[in-house]
Amino acid sequence: MGVVSFVAKRIGLYLAVLFIGLTITFMLPRLMPINPVDGYIGQIQSRANGTLTAEAIAELRVNLEQLYGLKGDVFTQYVSYLKRIVLSFDFGPSFTYYPQPVSAMILNALPWTLGLLLTSTVIAWLLGNLVGLVAGYFHKQKAASLLEFVGILLYPIPYYILAVTMLLLLAYIFPVFPLSATFPVGQMTPEKFGMVIYNSLLPGITLVLAGFGWNILSMKALTVATTEEPYVTYARLKGTSNWTRMTRYVFRNALLPQVTALALSLGMVFNGALLTEMIFSYPGIGLVMRTAANGGDYNVLYGAITISIIAVATAGLVIDLLYPLLDPRIRHK
Amino acid sequence: MTRLGRFLLTSAMGGLMTTAAFAQGAMTDVGTPRSETLIVQTFDGRSANPSAQNPLNSYAIWRGFRELGWGYLWEMDTATGKSYPEMADGFPEVLNDAHTQFRIKIRPGILWSDGVEFTTDDIIYSLDTAFKYREQLTNVASVTVYLKSYKKIDDYTFEVETVNPSYDLTTRLGVYTWGTPFNWVPKHIFEAQGDQVVRFQNAPPVTLGPYKVKEFDPNGFWQLWELREDWQKSSWGNLGTPKPKFILYKDFGAEETRALAFVQNQYDVDTFMSPDSIDAAKARNPKVETFSATFPYHDMNDACSYGVYINQQRAPYDMPEVRWALALSLDLSQIGISAMSGQFKAAALPLPDTPITGPIFYEANLQALKGLTIGDGYKPFDAEFSTQLVETLKAQGIDPSLLPTGDAIRSGFGAGWWKHDPAEAEKLLGSVGIKKSADGFYALPDGSPWVIEFVIPGDWNKVLQRLGFSIADSWRQAGFNVNARQVDNGEYTTVQNTNSRNELQINWSNTCVYNSNWLGNWNQFRESNIKPADSTDPLSGNYARITDQQVLDLVAEGAALPLDDPKFVQNGQEIAMRIASEMQIINLMNIPTTIPTNSTYWTNFPKQNNFYAAPYTWWSSFKQTVVNIEPTGQQ
Repeated sequence: MGVVSFVAKRIGLYLAVLFIGLTITFMLPRLMPINPVDGYIGQIQSRANGTLTAEAIAELRVNLEQLYGLKGDVFTQYVSYLKRIVLSFDFGPSFTYYPQPVSAMILNALPWTLGLLLTSTVIAWLLGNLVGLVAGYFHKQKAASLLEFVGILLYPIPYYILAVTMLLLLAYIFPVFPLSATFPVGQMTPEKFGMVIYNSLLPGITLVLAGFGWNILSMKALTVATTEEPYVTYARLKGTSNWTRMTRYVFRNALLPQVTALALSLGMVFNGALLTEMIFSYPGIGLVMRTAANGGDYNVLYGAITISIIAVATAGLVIDLLYPLLDPRIRHK
Repeated sequence: MTRLGRFLLTSAMGGLMTTAAFAQGAMTDVGTPRSETLIVQTFDGRSANPSAQNPLNSYAIWRGFRELGWGYLWEMDTATGKSYPEMADGFPEVLNDAHTQFRIKIRPGILWSDGVEFTTDDIIYSLDTAFKYREQLTNVASVTVYLKSYKKIDDYTFEVETVNPSYDLTTRLGVYTWGTPFNWVPKHIFEAQGDQVVRFQNAPPVTLGPYKVKEFDPNGFWQLWELREDWQKSSWGNLGTPKPKFILYKDFGAEETRALAFVQNQYDVDTFMSPDSIDAAKARNPKVETFSATFPYHDMNDACSYGVYINQQRAPYDMPEVRWALALSLDLSQIGISAMSGQFKAAALPLPDTPITGPIFYEANLQALKGLTIGDGYKPFDAEFSTQLVETLKAQGIDPSLLPTGDAIRSGFGAGWWKHDPAEAEKLLGSVGIKKSADGFYALPDGSPWVIEFVIPGDWNKVLQRLGFSIADSWRQAGFNVNARQVDNGEYTTVQNTNSRNELQINWSNTCVYNSNWLGNWNQFRESNIKPADSTDPLSGNYARITDQQVLDLVAEGAALPLDDPKFVQNGQEIAMRIASEMQIINLMNIPTTIPTNSTYWTNFPKQNNFYAAPYTWWSSFKQTVVNIEPTGQQ
């Protein structure tokens, strides 16, 4: 298979995944037993102490359907939706927070989610792999078992429990961090930037601890398996040092599946945002999605899920395209 | 690298120092003196769209606007349920016998927060804009269908004509309970927007109240209000001296985090907090207090009450025997104890039993409730319910000194509820052909299985969720096969609004009656709000599915009567009794609102024994709290 054909096939698959993803994204909220217009009317009626008359509600309903783009049959709405997304990446206004554009809501939230989750995912990956490598390479030594124990201890703890425990420990018993952070507003200054970093540390540490354990265990298992490969034995017989064998022979080969895992977990950061943002009162895309799901806010759901789909699909494409450079066996095929 | 390390270290140290200072109570983390700042947990948590502050569209309603920022023509004294003029100069003058034309005067000298005077030009512009853009603005329908016309007389006088006779103008263009559905906007700011007014965010806003927005978090976690220097010239500057210089609305996160922050004195007033969390917080900080010192600790003065709403248009719920059987099968005492630690106030009529509504509706109907008979002469009302509940709580180990005695039992736990009598329920069901089948559950008259779908909220409303599961348990024990289905907020509303989706639902929508004016809520019980039993079209009200012609007639008649007409009040009493006697809503209890406060920095919050206002920070009555609290001097 030529390089062009290889790349074209992967990109074709990528576009197909996006198309299917966008279609499912359009259909799913419509299958939900929620009507966003009713939801909004419910809120308004609640604010109005139930004093809105039937005429007022009927008028509101007609206006909202028009404003939200819910007029016409589902197919008409679908074509219009695809046009808007593909041509201008326009998700329209939020239903719940009309007339706020969805893109603005997502753009406001995304940097927070990406900043916290990308950083902590990469740190957890790096630390976990380093610890896992040492634990795996020296797995016959008792000290290495201690390193593995860290992974065994952390991995099964449910994230929620871990997060609340960290809050209790580091924000209540030892109040090093704030229980409920207040992020500074206005133009960013070095001091304010420092506050953002400081306020992000506790959720960041918790995320690292949560992701750390799995990386230790998986890297340890891969390392143990790789150390038993004939080429590692051959290198040892040739008289190479432990350091050389561990870093050049074992680590590089054991790392390949971990790179895949990293790429996929980077693409999935959106999914990990919700609990963190709820527990630590941290702004981000997770809370936006939660509000949208609760209120049947189709447009916000489209926007957030579409970006998530694009991120995961793009991560998959990048892995596909990079793998031949990392793994000679695939290049050969 | 060294420079970066030094920068990060400095930043971290700065953060630590700020936190340390905050923990000591010197400054808040938004840079205001803690001793001058009242900090309040936001009612609905984080705002997903904090910059939407245009009241003509949806806006950040929960974070101070209606309490501190807006001004109303007429406000409500939530301690008495009486309207009083706020920006209006007295009550409206009625201009015709049909009670559709009114002249309204406003007080001169009220200034917007930017110093411009509030005049009838603002009112006329607000109404013009609402009518002109009624198809694009999403929060104007309450006024565009209510008013037929309006005109300016002079800078401080205007006239309106309503579509229908209107005896409740002061609550429709003012406040009924927690705010108004339509707010006035500043002409000098909004007019400049032209047609773009429909998309105008209005952040930060120019406001009428004594406070103005100082800063807000674009991520929606907090909003800081600052007392205006010219607060005496504001919309309610005549109410008294607002004590806090700053008021911070902030979402402190999940209940676990909030309880910890409360113990650390990080904020002063909470909203709903579960009894377990309050107990834990009180045990660690003696300054944390509940609304009442004795059982039940909660505030019970919400305008609405919790009940089981039955889709009476669907069989077998169209038979009163079935609805009564469901009510008599509920062990409310046990439900309240297991779901709410016994901290509830029973309410048999379809409205809350408060110091305001109690004398009007409950005391007036008490004899009728006691004398009510169903079936073959069975008397279902249990006037001793509260006394028995107190005995049960004592038996379960509650310290008797924490329990009310004498008349306080009735004011604490209610005037009574329905008997728990599954045997009578079985008898009633048997009379309409519903009997238990071999599996121990009731079957429909044709012998087919009867599975009740009972919709309850997911964890977005923990109190209702707990109640819902307890009710389902109680029914199952009595032989009803119940599927308790918990749903998200969006689906909950859809179930409420759609006949074909609704069977039984725990709800509060049609029980919001705050004083003798029952019209605001029960006006929904009209022919036009009834759809066929299998309809998939959304309802525009009447979520209780009241189809009883007697109730509909009473509502229609009452809508044409002055609110202070004895016949109007009597109609309300009859509606309440009719709904109860036909068991059209299984009303359960007042909405329990915990409202714990922390008196470290501020004291004299509204309490059971100091009830100068409803204690809610998310009602406009919070104004009363703001002028009545006092700093403790804690620095």
